[in-house]
Amino acid sequence: MLRFLATRLARAALTIAMVVTFAFVVLRLSGDPAQIIMGADAPPEAVEAFRTAWGLDEPIWVQYLSYFWAILQGDLGRSMRDGRDAIVLVTERIPATLALTLPALAIKICLGIPAGIYAALHRNSLADRVVMIIAVAGFTVPSFVLGLLLVLVFAVQLGWLPSGGQESWRHGILPVITLGLGGAAVLARFTRSAMLEVLGQPYIRTASAKGVPWRAVVTGHALPNAAIPTVTIIGFMVGTLIAGAVVVESVFSWPGVGRLLVVAVANRDLAVVQCILLLVAITMVCANLIVDLLYGLLDPRLRAAPRKAA
Amino acid sequence: MPEAPLVIIAPTAPAKTRRKAPSALVVFGIGWLMLMLIVALLADILAPYAYTALDLRNRLSPPILLGGNWLHPLGTDELGRDVLSRLIYSIRTSLLIAFGATIIGAAVGTSLGFLAAHFRGFIEQAVLALVDFSASLPFLILALAVLAFFGNSLLLLVCLLGLHAWERYARIARGLALAAGTQGYAAAVRGLGASPWRIYGRHVLPNIASTLIVSMTLAFPEVILLESGLSFLGLGVQPPETSLGSMVGYGREYLTRAPWILLAPASTIVLTTLSVSLIGDWLRDKLDPTLR
Repeated sequence: MLRFLATRLARAALTIAMVVTFAFVVLRLSGDPAQIIMGADAPPEAVEAFRTAWGLDEPIWVQYLSYFWAILQGDLGRSMRDGRDAIVLVTERIPATLALTLPALAIKICLGIPAGIYAALHRNSLADRVVMIIAVAGFTVPSFVLGLLLVLVFAVQLGWLPSGGQESWRHGILPVITLGLGGAAVLARFTRSAMLEVLGQPYIRTASAKGVPWRAVVTGHALPNAAIPTVTIIGFMVGTLIAGAVVVESVFSWPGVGRLLVVAVANRDLAVVQCILLLVAITMVCANLIVDLLYGLLDPRLRAAPRKAA
Repeated sequence: MPEAPLVIIAPTAPAKTRRKAPSALVVFGIGWLMLMLIVALLADILAPYAYTALDLRNRLSPPILLGGNWLHPLGTDELGRDVLSRLIYSIRTSLLIAFGATIIGAAVGTSLGFLAAHFRGFIEQAVLALVDFSASLPFLILALAVLAFFGNSLLLLVCLLGLHAWERYARIARGLALAAGTQGYAAAVRGLGASPWRIYGRHVLPNIASTLIVSMTLAFPEVILLESGLSFLGLGVQPPETSLGSMVGYGREYLTRAPWILLAPASTIVLTTLSVSLIGDWLRDKLDPTLR
């Protein structure tokens, strides 16, 4: 178990290092950072001073190492727009985003998993067809279309709910539903196919043949085995908690991390973009790490073998 | 990282051939996709107006169904631009981007997968590390970051979206190429002294083509959704060019007064992605013995 943990930690660290490297390379490829950050009309001596201050006149590998070192110390640069630390700017938006993505995650799990299990247990029934049609629709309807349709119906036509902004909890209802329904559809589809695969296994037949009640077969044998692929998808969803609402936040003018990212991209505010990029990568890698550890709990076979044979 | 299955076991027995006629939904999907292709190819002939042409007398004119006139069957927008014409050109732009990006993704991913399978060792590890890297970032975030760093152009957008799903092709190509290496035909051709180009291009590729085509039909709607999402955010296709996503983004401003500006492209996006997904699922059942 310790070795399993160590390998996973090393891989996680390597992946984050790759993301940092990616940010560095892309930042350097995109042009002279001094010019970009100071602006095209900055006086040459200011640009020169910036170069020296940031070590841009050093050889590239020295720059790379100092860049890496700065990030390790939590120094992610300043926003070009108001000169505040990018990390502060980003972290103060996180609660707003989590206020949408956490309830949405709850909807996804509470709606998607039971629907998927039910559909698999009643394969080809009317309920199964309905779940699958909704699931396919949930995949093919983009979140901005779903969000705008909900606005059209519930805000414009019926006038029940506000269409955007963040003044009260009622403003969060439509965005949470938009996020939740799409994710629930994906989860239902995955859970259903995972369950169907497990239900076709010989040990399920053995268990029911030896007289175990069907309910016990499902809860004791089918569900734990079907949990593994489902946990992977949930892990991915947890990984996107911080930046998974980019489009929906834009639709509903919700002042979260996603909105900040879109504005930062439009203004080419590189420090903020890079900060969000790293933050998302770290969340994602941590979520994946937790998923890997959960695999170990769910599937004892994986504890011994460092590489899963598929 | 959750390690996705990296070794895909090639079928040892010939897949059971299921002679199942495509369902009504699949027929609808194929029909709709044909229609979209025709519209995209004949956009210049079909569009009644240029997509930038203004008709200032008929601004925000509603579509026929809502009491409009035949001058503008799907209505006009705030500047009096014909929604039908804009829709037709948007379909062309969006399909062009989606096709281009899907083909780039498949080519890049398959090549890297073959490289990994051929050279093994360090190159294989490097490719696998790259796969890990792209799994660690949601693609939309990565795309947004690249657009922030490099600014925006149509070519960059196509190339960027082309990187979407490359890791899936790489995984499939690597797994299947490794499996092919152990099968008779690849060894036989190698024994005859064929170059790696010939082995992979003429022998391995045709053998795994059906799996790759299925992956492409599954990735295609995702690319359409990504492009329309980026364009909706105003970070994809830039005006005066128009795409389905940017039409929705523009129509959003007139949601209350002129919902038709938004509904026409939105329903086109949904119907197109739905059609390709249905076709993809059907093809997967029909062609692909490795995925069930």
